[in-house]
Amino acid sequence: MNYDVVIGLEVHAQLSTLTKAWCQCEISVSAFENTKVCEVCSAQPGTLPVYNKKAIEYAIKLGLATNSKINKVSVFDRKNYFYPDLPKGYQITQFQTPVADNGHLEILDEEGNIKKVGIQRIQMEEDTGKSSHLGEKSLINLNRSGTPLLEIVSEPHMSTAKEASSYLKKLHSILVYLGICHGNMQDGNFRCDVNVSIKPKGSDKYGTRTEVKNVNSFRHVEMCIEHEVQRHQQILDSGNKVLQQTLLFDVETKATKVLRTKSDADDYRYFPEPDLLPLIISESQIQKVQDTLPELPDAKIKRFILDYGIPAYDANVLTAEKELAHYFEAALKNYEGEAKKMSNWIMVELLRYLNEAGTSIERSPISPNSLAGLLNAINSGKISGKQAKDVFLKMYDSGHSADVIIKEMGLEQISDEKMITEIAQKIINANSVNVEKYKAGNERVFGFFVGQVMKETNGQANPSLTSEIIKRLLG
Amino acid sequence: MNIYDSHSALIKKKISSLELTTEALKKAQQNKNNSFISLTSDLALNQARTADEEISARGPRSWLHGIPYSLKDLFITKGIRTTAGSKILFNYVPPYDGFISKKISSAGGVLMGKVSCDEFGMGSTNENTPFGPVHHPLNPEFVAGGSSGGSAASVAEGSAAFSMGTDTGGSIRLPANFCGLVGFKPTYGRVSRYGQIAYGSSLDQAGPITHSVLDAACVMEFITEKDLLDVTNVANKKMTVVHELEKIKSGYLKDKTIGFSQEFIDACDPEVRNSLNDALKIFEKEGANLKNISLPHLKYSVAAYYLIATSEASTNLARYDGIHFGFRDKMSSKNLEDTYIRSRTLGFGEEVRKRIILGTFSLSAGYQDQYFAQACKVRRKIYEDFTTAFFQCDAIFSPVCASVAFKQGESKQDPIKMYMNDLYTIPVNLAGLPGLAIPFGHHKGLPTGFQLIGKSFQDEELLKIGHAFESVVKG
Repeated sequence: MNYDVVIGLEVHAQLSTLTKAWCQCEISVSAFENTKVCEVCSAQPGTLPVYNKKAIEYAIKLGLATNSKINKVSVFDRKNYFYPDLPKGYQITQFQTPVADNGHLEILDEEGNIKKVGIQRIQMEEDTGKSSHLGEKSLINLNRSGTPLLEIVSEPHMSTAKEASSYLKKLHSILVYLGICHGNMQDGNFRCDVNVSIKPKGSDKYGTRTEVKNVNSFRHVEMCIEHEVQRHQQILDSGNKVLQQTLLFDVETKATKVLRTKSDADDYRYFPEPDLLPLIISESQIQKVQDTLPELPDAKIKRFILDYGIPAYDANVLTAEKELAHYFEAALKNYEGEAKKMSNWIMVELLRYLNEAGTSIERSPISPNSLAGLLNAINSGKISGKQAKDVFLKMYDSGHSADVIIKEMGLEQISDEKMITEIAQKIINANSVNVEKYKAGNERVFGFFVGQVMKETNGQANPSLTSEIIKRLLG
Repeated sequence: MNIYDSHSALIKKKISSLELTTEALKKAQQNKNNSFISLTSDLALNQARTADEEISARGPRSWLHGIPYSLKDLFITKGIRTTAGSKILFNYVPPYDGFISKKISSAGGVLMGKVSCDEFGMGSTNENTPFGPVHHPLNPEFVAGGSSGGSAASVAEGSAAFSMGTDTGGSIRLPANFCGLVGFKPTYGRVSRYGQIAYGSSLDQAGPITHSVLDAACVMEFITEKDLLDVTNVANKKMTVVHELEKIKSGYLKDKTIGFSQEFIDACDPEVRNSLNDALKIFEKEGANLKNISLPHLKYSVAAYYLIATSEASTNLARYDGIHFGFRDKMSSKNLEDTYIRSRTLGFGEEVRKRIILGTFSLSAGYQDQYFAQACKVRRKIYEDFTTAFFQCDAIFSPVCASVAFKQGESKQDPIKMYMNDLYTIPVNLAGLPGLAIPFGHHKGLPTGFQLIGKSFQDEELLKIGHAFESVVKG
């Protein structure tokens, strides 16, 4: 490709505060329409907004967790536009001075190297209500109106779809680690607007960008970026110009469609919100929040690599979700072996089945302790690696422990030295021809003896012990 | 009928609340000055009966207990139609109670009804309303002043002992001045704005229109409690000033320094000028020092005001879009945009539309720096002018208006001249200071008077000076 790709992302994260941004209404996705609404969030005349202290604390948390500068004084502004699900006719947001800016996140690029993605700004704002359409009628539900949001605007530092989704996953995991966002993408807790442009390789002049609104899964973000890059490329290659447009990603056709073409007429008439005083954040308030920050993904990655000796890739996968990291560490507690082996089993087996079932690690039918039991059984030679996979499946289906399944399946290995020696001696005695061959230097015959012992014991003889005994008997 | 004397009469059982109320209701029902938009006769009679029972059992619980009052129709009253003097809210019944309504009714006030005003507080004559102009109580050919014209007229005609008005650029002080009453605009932030329909949020402030400064103080004691629902309500001290005023005898003005601008006085019509000079002589006679001060930037205040107030109004009034409440043009609207346009064009009056357009322009991209931002800088300068002046004096004496009440219909002929009439009241709002209009003298049957401007958050001192003057004049 003769082009450089430039990607910037804007994320809207709904904060998991109990109440809305400017009033005491409970935040609920499941409540009956328009039951979580008061005079403030329905914009009755004469009402005024009051800050939600929890939301401010959450904003500071994210600012600190993304290495951003927390602004001691930030200002709320009104963004003016008419829309039925925006009852005030303006959104309270932060335009001139956001609560935090100049941060960054670390992601792994396509080669597995650490790459910094800049965060331009983190601003506090509010969600709108929801419109839906029923034939001729349009319906408005204001339950969501006034839900506190953080808008996180990245620098245009990403150049591939994979990088963009890595950034999103990292940001998502930080929000969930901090406990400030439920992170449910299908519920709209975490929404992403994608900005894409391309420019001739090496050029320092940005191309015209298009913005794809509300892409609601990591997978779709990747797909939509790939689609847009290809589309821009075709336009430029055929000598045409990319139009600055706002688009929607159609999941069915896997293509973007035009929502509106940007024009100079877009004017939100931002100005400072006169109903709110500037937001003042003190050094001690920041310190207080700092002291309560949990261990974040990056720190966890470093610790996993250092303490458990697992590769960076594994550490990244295992820390992507707070619960997954917790699972891994819980499983290691009663496990006596290499952590890498545990990491493999979780990443390759457990996650595969969970993904297939569309369920999460919290709902894993195999508890961390059970998985540790399975791996311990392998390491002690009780079962073979190959058998372990069958045991794993049965554990997954039944929820029983490894020991119970191994017993049930009659898989326990025979590690009785005397018994294996007797069987092996019998086989050696009955196959003098092969003994001669072995003694003449034909190593391949060795496998024949092991195989015979296995056949005699229905595969339950401990393989390494069997080899050892045969080797000794053949002298 | 004033508060203080009625209160004494209630204590001494010389009169009952029901008698006061019945008397006031007679005048309110005649409505000869068109003061009322909505009468609340049944409520008033019930409240009066309850007040009488309570007073006979335990005595009055406040200065306002059993006292008839009216509310400008910009104050939200739960379950009672609140129109803002506009067609767009002609059928609006609020689902919640505002701060002022709540406080005065819990103090035991008897609500006579909702009184007229210029639509959304935009005007100086109370002619800008589809509910018809309010007449001057002393001469129906003249205006009562605005925007709180219904408030002033109801107090002057005796249908209420006091009324609550709002003041964005003089809307309490001007009608009080025209009608020969006391009008007090407290320091911005002293009285909660929660439940007061917004015009210019950074300028709006509620206050009483009364027969005396003492009465104004009686009201202030019940509306200065800290309200957590308005974050710009920064005062944390409830006013207790009536007992201090009661103690003031002659001599209080001795050695007070009263600042004034000779330039302002000279610019007034002769009849107003004479009254102002006479008032100043009384201050001098009482031993006050008079000091000619300079307020060089005040001449820009009208220009700054009409940018700031209209900018804020243009977004404050965005919620009146015909979707969630109020007037909607259902018949002929083709689509959403058409519904907005038709509802707002038909729902708002001419003056309101004019100011929304002006404010929208002032905030527009490419113009905001020239207009809105520039006006904010001027505002700062005006504040500094006052700060400097207050190093040299305790209060500033100024005209309220250059003329006595205007003739009905006059304002339509020269709108710029009409805007300029607010020259002396507007700077007080821009600087957020307390302003007190005090009646003094008459000219050809129309009242004259002056204004005292106080230091920020020293509302009590301003009321004391005003009361001291009144005591001297009334003897």
